[in-house]
Amino acid sequence: MTNMESNENKKPLTIVEVIDGGPLKITGNIILKDLKKDISDNPPEVYLCRCGYSGNKPYCDNSHKC
Amino acid sequence: MMEREKTTFSGGRKYSNDEITVYWKPDACVHASYCYRELIEVFDPGRRPWVDMKGAETDRIIEVVNMCPTEALTWKWNDDKKNKDISIDQTNHIKFRRPELMSTDEQEIQENPVSVKIMIDGPVVIKGDFTFQYSGNKKEIKEGIISLCRCGASYHLPFCDGTHRKIGFEDK
Repeated sequence: MTNMESNENKKPLTIVEVIDGGPLKITGNIILKDLKKDISDNPPEVYLCRCGYSGNKPYCDNSHKC
Repeated sequence: MMEREKTTFSGGRKYSNDEITVYWKPDACVHASYCYRELIEVFDPGRRPWVDMKGAETDRIIEVVNMCPTEALTWKWNDDKKNKDISIDQTNHIKFRRPELMSTDEQEIQENPVSVKIMIDGPVVIKGDFTFQYSGNKKEIKEGIISLCRCGASYHLPFCDGTHRKIGFEDK
């Protein structure tokens, strides 16, 4: 049996990391949303487009490498 | 008209109608863009002066000013007697008045998830407690807010500087 309790008490440290020449990586305890709605509640990690060229915004799809 | 007072205050400009005065502190603005996305009739960055208090009813202006995630936009009643009630309001406003970030009376501010908000055709606005890493820098942000460029054209990368509007950046 896994110890869920101690897991829950530990607050995940949220890290927002700007990857040079690449996307924005966010890990931790987040709510991702836009003006209208929640997009994703507590995703394990997200990579957000920073170049403006992704075909899958707000996520990165590696278009920045083109 | 009586309202021809000074239009500046220390740190910014102010704009009045008959009922309220809106205060704008440009240094505090992170270009989250709630104001003009919600109410371009009043808040139009392409116009001078950029705030037109005749563009909407007072209630609506208050509503949108309260959406500002920083203290760049605040407001007061012109009738100072009425301001007692909003002083708390304004304090909350500065400390993330946005309802989704208000802690639910529990002392568990640490537990609040970090809000990552995609502004349509604009930046990503990140609020809360988090570690921010960029170009070898590492900062611990406490109850803070940052607005990061998503269009790639900011002159102040990785931060948003409002350029997305000039280049017509679109999410679609």
